[in-house]
Amino acid sequence: MALILVVDDEDEVRASLKRRLVREGYTVVTADSAEDAANKIRMSEEPFDAVVTDMCMEEADSGLEVLRHAVARDLFTEVIVLTAYGNVSNAVESMRRGAFDYLEKNVPGVDTYEVLVMKVAQALERRRAAIRTVRRLEERAAQQSGSGTA
Amino acid sequence: MPDVPVVRVGPLPGAAASSRHRYNPPVQTRACDSDGGCETSIFLCELNELFSGAVRSGGEEAFLQEALELGMRAVGGDRAFLALVEQSTGDLVVVKTAGLGWTPETARLRLSLAKESERGITGHVVMTAKPYRTGDVTGDPYYLPYFRDVLSEIAVPICGTSGQSVGVINVESALSHRFTEEHEHRLVAVAHATAAALRVQGFRARESALIEIGNNLTTTLDIDTLMQKVLTVAADMLRFEDCTVFLADDANEYLVLTASGGSLANRRGETPYRVGEGITGWVAEHGVSVRLAEPQRDPRWKGLCLEFPEEDIGALLAVPIVGRKRVLGVLRVVRRKSPTAWFSNAFSEGEERVLNTIGRQLGAAIENVRSYERLITAERMAAWGELSARAAHMIGNRTFALKGDLNELAYLLSQKPCEEIRDEIQELSHSMARGVERLEEILREFRDFVVATQISLAPCDVNALLRETVEEIFPRRSPVKLTLQLAPDLPLLRCDARKLKRAFGEIIENSLSFQPDGGALEVSTCIMSPEAMLGLGLGQSRQHVAIEFADAGPGIAPDQKERVFQPFHTTRAKGMGLGLSIVKGIVEAHQGTVREIGTQGQGARFVVCLPMEHGTHETDRE
Repeated sequence: MALILVVDDEDEVRASLKRRLVREGYTVVTADSAEDAANKIRMSEEPFDAVVTDMCMEEADSGLEVLRHAVARDLFTEVIVLTAYGNVSNAVESMRRGAFDYLEKNVPGVDTYEVLVMKVAQALERRRAAIRTVRRLEERAAQQSGSGTA
Repeated sequence: MPDVPVVRVGPLPGAAASSRHRYNPPVQTRACDSDGGCETSIFLCELNELFSGAVRSGGEEAFLQEALELGMRAVGGDRAFLALVEQSTGDLVVVKTAGLGWTPETARLRLSLAKESERGITGHVVMTAKPYRTGDVTGDPYYLPYFRDVLSEIAVPICGTSGQSVGVINVESALSHRFTEEHEHRLVAVAHATAAALRVQGFRARESALIEIGNNLTTTLDIDTLMQKVLTVAADMLRFEDCTVFLADDANEYLVLTASGGSLANRRGETPYRVGEGITGWVAEHGVSVRLAEPQRDPRWKGLCLEFPEEDIGALLAVPIVGRKRVLGVLRVVRRKSPTAWFSNAFSEGEERVLNTIGRQLGAAIENVRSYERLITAERMAAWGELSARAAHMIGNRTFALKGDLNELAYLLSQKPCEEIRDEIQELSHSMARGVERLEEILREFRDFVVATQISLAPCDVNALLRETVEEIFPRRSPVKLTLQLAPDLPLLRCDARKLKRAFGEIIENSLSFQPDGGALEVSTCIMSPEAMLGLGLGQSRQHVAIEFADAGPGIAPDQKERVFQPFHTTRAKGMGLGLSIVKGIVEAHQGTVREIGTQGQGARFVVCLPMEHGTHETDRE
């Protein structure tokens, strides 16, 4: 099952996110800062399939830092950025740098957790598709090089 | 400065001074002619010293005494006095005496120049500004007998810049025809030196007063205090019965009565003049000063807002308060009509110059204060922006966590019957209660931060307040050992008990949160020693009470000592990090200070210093 990293500096937020994602059957690891996240990304045996990170922690753009580390470890790790209130400029920047999507924590009348679960599922689907594509390309390359030498 | 303010007195109009002069022939024998030269050269030496004394700084009192004694010696008199004209009354007041026969009463003699019967030779000399000499007072038309043994008298005026008398030196002798023309010359020379000394003294006083205003410009950041200082200094430099400051409103349409030297104090805030209306309005419109004797006769006169009844006003001087780009207002001083007909009460050109200088300085100061206020407003707006952003962020996160709990609750309820998930529901309920509590903490901090500076003062026993705070805040069974060391002799302080309690409580809670596994907290109060106040950079003008909170926690790093009081500084998960900035706000609203003076590793030491006497103006702010 998918391995997901949840990054947020607020204990309650981290706990809620983990609980909801665990309910979906994912394996969830948490980190409470960008630095903690960077370590866990680097040390993890398997690369994370998806990272859900808060944007504003120690710095207003800590989420971008997490994104950088995640993509550095595995190009196909999908990152979803959470913002506590609409900081669109940082959210747009995270998309530009390859985040899967961003999500505002507080949207009146919207159950953000359900939206998140949906987005995580989409992100994991994209990751699987990307990996399948790469595999196919690798296999084809291997066949071509095999036939070439034969 | 002398006890008596110095003023120039104009000669009596039409006084035929010279015809009344008596030049009695010298009766003194010429036998000592051979000594005369020697005597003259001694006098010249002494006079020289006197002159150099006149330009040396300080000691005007001593100087006047020396001058008088030299004068008496130089003419060989038995008794002498020096009198100065008192501006407000026009009286001639004896300030220094020399020689024999003075009693405490005669040494404080006061002659009314208004009454011809009281003037005497001395008054006559002041009014004519010419020397007068008589060898036999018995037949003299001006002589008034204050001493029985007088036969000869000589009096010379001390003259101001335009030749008018500001005072007189008078020497008497029991011998008839004691004083010669030579004596008169000598006494005139002494009077010149005295006049020079008085003038130098006047310049010095003016200079230091202007410097004082200049200093106030940079240090005073509140218009009312500044105005009051300027009025005080102006009153030291110029004689006037009252002084009023009008400032133009924002639209530059009306003049607002902003400060008063006395009689108009209860009309502050009124707008009696439009810009351009009356003499005051004219000055505001044109930016040019107006100096008038009998201002009622001026066509611009409206008399809309007067310090005293219109018929009593003798002279008016109004100068513009000039800013960089426009006239900010008008500084107006008035004198009553002169008590005597001969004595003009008009303002002089020199006084107009001085007041103009004050007007310009005041203008610069007002602009200084206003730009500072704009800066403060901008900073406050920026702080508000930051505060709102932080609050939104924190409230957003708490709400997000609560939403997570609700989501989980809905899920659980949809999956299983209630009785099977009782424990989970209970846990969620606790979690949501915590979440709501955290939200309320944020709201409280937000509110306290905003209202920290709005205080209402009442006399309050700080020791009792501390005991109450500890009672309410300090946990009954705490691993932290609490000690109270409260000074028994503390006076009541004027403070806002509720706000101070909040401040003290915050410091105590802060300390407890840094000693979760036990420690100590010592709360002490004392009246601060001057050294302690100096050590904390407090002014010496007011005594302070110190309230100290010393704990055994980790303490605060040197580079954090200032920063812990800034908003949003927090190492705790609770709240928004406004706690100590709220403390600072509350303490500073009491005109006090709060510092952290501990050593890192030896615990934190927070010291709150509160001044013991309060001004009255901040009592009803809330």
